[in-house]
Amino acid sequence: MKKFVYILVLLPLLLVGCKGEKKLARYNEMYQQEPTVIYVAPLNDLSMRRAVRETVDSVYNASLNIASRQLYLTATDPLTSHGYYVLGPLASAQLAATETRTGRQLRNDNINDLYNDLGIDAVLFIDLLNWSNTSNSWSVEAEYVLRSTVTGVELLHVHVNATKILHTDYKGNPKPLKEDLEFAKQYGCDLETAQRCRLVEIMNKYVLKDLPAGKRARKHEAEQYSKPHPEYFNLRIHRDGSVEQLKDEEL
Amino acid sequence: MLDYQTNSTYGSLYALATAHAESINAAVKADTLHPGMYAEYGVALALMGHDGEACRMLNSEAKAFPESRRMVRRIKERLLPTMVDDTLAGQRDTADMLKLQNWAYDSLAALQHLPWVAAVIDSTDTLRVMQQTPIDSVEYPIRLTANQKREMLVEEQQREELRRKEIEDSIAAAKQAKIDAREQAKIDKKKAKKDKEKAKKAAEKAKKEAAKEKAQQREQEKQRKAEERKAKQQQQKQQKEQQKQQQQKQQKEQQKQLQKQQQEQQKQQQQQEQEEGKQ
Repeated sequence: MKKFVYILVLLPLLLVGCKGEKKLARYNEMYQQEPTVIYVAPLNDLSMRRAVRETVDSVYNASLNIASRQLYLTATDPLTSHGYYVLGPLASAQLAATETRTGRQLRNDNINDLYNDLGIDAVLFIDLLNWSNTSNSWSVEAEYVLRSTVTGVELLHVHVNATKILHTDYKGNPKPLKEDLEFAKQYGCDLETAQRCRLVEIMNKYVLKDLPAGKRARKHEAEQYSKPHPEYFNLRIHRDGSVEQLKDEEL
Repeated sequence: MLDYQTNSTYGSLYALATAHAESINAAVKADTLHPGMYAEYGVALALMGHDGEACRMLNSEAKAFPESRRMVRRIKERLLPTMVDDTLAGQRDTADMLKLQNWAYDSLAALQHLPWVAAVIDSTDTLRVMQQTPIDSVEYPIRLTANQKREMLVEEQQREELRRKEIEDSIAAAKQAKIDAREQAKIDKKKAKKDKEKAKKAAEKAKKEAAKEKAQQREQEKQRKAEERKAKQQQQKQQKEQQKQQQQKQQKEQQKQLQKQQQEQQKQQQQQEQEEGKQ
């Protein structure tokens, strides 16, 4: 009799625990509007204001500048591979040059004219909030907002804090990844910049791949019952390239 | 792209454009053309000043991805303002465009009585009324006769031929540039080899000279040491000889003293004997 009571209590709990939020619920507006053309707005870099201590250090600031550029440049690839039409950074820069409104105005005001004049369905805004570093890790904090040009509704709003762990050998010397070294060699930058660039690139991929696949993609309908990322989350990028999603308390 | 963003020079732009061209060729072969590839290449070419090829690339983007037509038109308005007209407008087909043109002629005819108003059809297929424009400066579209249409067709064909020639010339120039670059690279390699050989020879000579100098120094040191040894030996010999001489002198003196003492003893004995004899 006691076992039966336990089962009666535990079964609904298990069922509720497994259910959770689905992509269909999180991206309800997106599934209704089915945007195809996304315009990536120029990066809103708010991090330099906070790096007060390091303003004198030109090398540090140059490293952050290159990494923030890489954040903007690598935002298009995950979207295109997900089935959306996105112009590349060079062409987007030409479009941005014709825009008279500021980033804040685009973020808050009516942007229906972008749909009427240019056929853009949604605009992706990326705010780079903060860079931070400890003795064995680099961290970046960013906010992604995807806003519909038709209704003005936010289709995606994610706040991310991504951390890259820097490994050392048994003597305490830095032990960089092969990919980081290759990146540094390819673009002729220092290792620290390369590590930050790759951190930002992986963060872009991880955040933007959570969007529902574009209307043309095969899995557009199939994936709507999978679980989405939470709205605010922390990432930890490991040595082998795997990404771990953490709760706020763990970091 | 990061190269161009960090260091926006003509060289980095050229490298970016060639990278885009290679990726487009590969994507066309593998049938994996991504949106925005033609547009990126077109913008890069336009920034480099190759307007004809840039226009062709932007048009092919608009053709491959019809949703990009308005954006491409906006980009062309900024970068290639003289070549905006050949962009495919909106998502309408040619029949719709012809209807729209006829409607525009009628509406223009209706508006002609106003001296300060002119109308223009823009890319979004809407009739824009431009105010405060002197009527003489506006060029109205005119219905073409059959002969004029033929002439227009011939002109278009000539333009296309000219564009093809431009493209062929640019390709040939690019090939020639590649060949020149290869030849230059070969010459540079040869020069570098010669320089290396010269440097090697010089290094070997320097090594040999250094070895000779070392050998000479060693011989000099050996000679010096030998001389020092000889000098030491001579000194030791002289010291030994002096010691011997001194010893000999001392022995002689001792002998002399002994002889003297003996003589004195003999004398004393003789004297004693004499005294004894006297007694």
